[in-house]
Amino acid sequence: MSAEVLKYTLEQVEALELAPGTEHNHLEGWIPELASGDDLRQALEKAFDYRGDVTLTLKNGERIEAFIFNRLTGPTLAESFVQYFTPSATDKRKVSYADIARLEFSGKDRAAGKHWEDWVKAYNEKKAAGEKNIALAPEALD
Amino acid sequence: MAVPISQMWTVATYVLKKKLAGNKRYPLVLMLEPLFRCNLACAGCGKVQYPPHILKKQLSPEECFAAVEECGAPMVSLPGGEPLLHPQIVEIVNGLIARKKYIYLCTNALELKRRLPEFTPSKYLTFSVHLDGQREQHDFSVCREGGYDIAIEGIKEAVKRGFRVTTNATFFDGTDPNSVRGFFDEVMDMGVEGIVLSPGYSYEKAPDQNRFLGRARVRRLFRAILSNRKPTWKFNMSPLFLEFLMGDRKYECTPWGSPAFNIFGWQRPCYLLQDGYTETYKELIETTKWEEYGVASGNPKCANCMVSCGYEPSAVIDGFGSLSGFWGMVKGTFSLYKDNHALKLLNEPAPHGPATLVQIEQRERALEGTNA
Repeated sequence: MSAEVLKYTLEQVEALELAPGTEHNHLEGWIPELASGDDLRQALEKAFDYRGDVTLTLKNGERIEAFIFNRLTGPTLAESFVQYFTPSATDKRKVSYADIARLEFSGKDRAAGKHWEDWVKAYNEKKAAGEKNIALAPEALD
Repeated sequence: MAVPISQMWTVATYVLKKKLAGNKRYPLVLMLEPLFRCNLACAGCGKVQYPPHILKKQLSPEECFAAVEECGAPMVSLPGGEPLLHPQIVEIVNGLIARKKYIYLCTNALELKRRLPEFTPSKYLTFSVHLDGQREQHDFSVCREGGYDIAIEGIKEAVKRGFRVTTNATFFDGTDPNSVRGFFDEVMDMGVEGIVLSPGYSYEKAPDQNRFLGRARVRRLFRAILSNRKPTWKFNMSPLFLEFLMGDRKYECTPWGSPAFNIFGWQRPCYLLQDGYTETYKELIETTKWEEYGVASGNPKCANCMVSCGYEPSAVIDGFGSLSGFWGMVKGTFSLYKDNHALKLLNEPAPHGPATLVQIEQRERALEGTNA
């Protein structure tokens, strides 16, 4: 976060009419190149922010499908960890950055593809067609 | 006065004790998210976009009780997700009542009427029903036609059964202040204890990224809505926080005032922002770089935030922690906030999207504008 600190002055903040939204990063399917420690740190930061599962391939060959919900960064890769849940286990797990060989944004991005404009368009179309009980439903869990 | 005296007394004595003990950072409301699963897909919500295996997870009652005891806040808010989808929500609520915590169970009320017989009315339990305005506004906001009518049925049944009920509204750009005032009339007529309201937070993961209010427009909107109040309107909020929204007071964020706990752990730094998690509440308080958050930090993720979970604790601490704050709270409780400038704002055409910048005129309110 530190790099972003002081991006706005207080005067600018107080005068804002509309808060700028966030441009969505399309990461689904991305396999970042992990040539250096910095590459790995940056990619795992994006994985932490990603609202889908990723696949981690460890240096020992093990593959882990995981939802990364936290990162604990230290001075070295060996002292830095990501925390994750897997689809099949109930407990929180963690793995050291130093053990990760490959990262793939393999799961569906759950924060992508739903826009207010789409809802308004769909609503107006269905309304014009005489439909009732128009709704956006949450995605199925199975 | 919408908040019962016993609850106010509990909070007031808690704040005073913390102040006398020299505690710099202490929680007022624990935001306890027992699950992220929801039965709505609201456009402005960034809380529920997770893979199915995460949405199926939930906190156990024991995990909830441990979090409540660990942080010690006198009030507990149960948001989500939709808490009524949690199969053990009754056990969780009963356990919190046994611990004498004032609970706000935040629900969209789609399941409320059906689940009500499982709960027992208590001064400690309030159903805080998500209603974003009148029928058309609410249904459009939560992306579900008919949602308002179902929620209203739940509210009426809960009131009839003797439960404490508040409504909880989040406002985005395009909100018509006249409609909101009409909405206040409607919900007060239903017999709710009070109204809770807040501008929406600019969630990075929310589907709609184009309607988050900036601070100037928040002040203008809430000045129009909350000035010239009707005596029948009751707010289940600090009057000082409402004055903050109207542009009459300046507060800094108190993110540790409403710490959040969910299946990932203690969320850093607050209920809205996800900058990581800690295993313990102590670790959250001691290791979070608090100076990197809040408007004064310049952090763009905090720049537009005037949301209740960060700023109402500031108002409550001011209200119960200083004589001037307490006097302001007393005055605010009985004031109707007469304001001719705000009346003019109400006569402007209803908004249909982004409008031009209108800055709120900053001025001291005249005493004759209050009933104090």
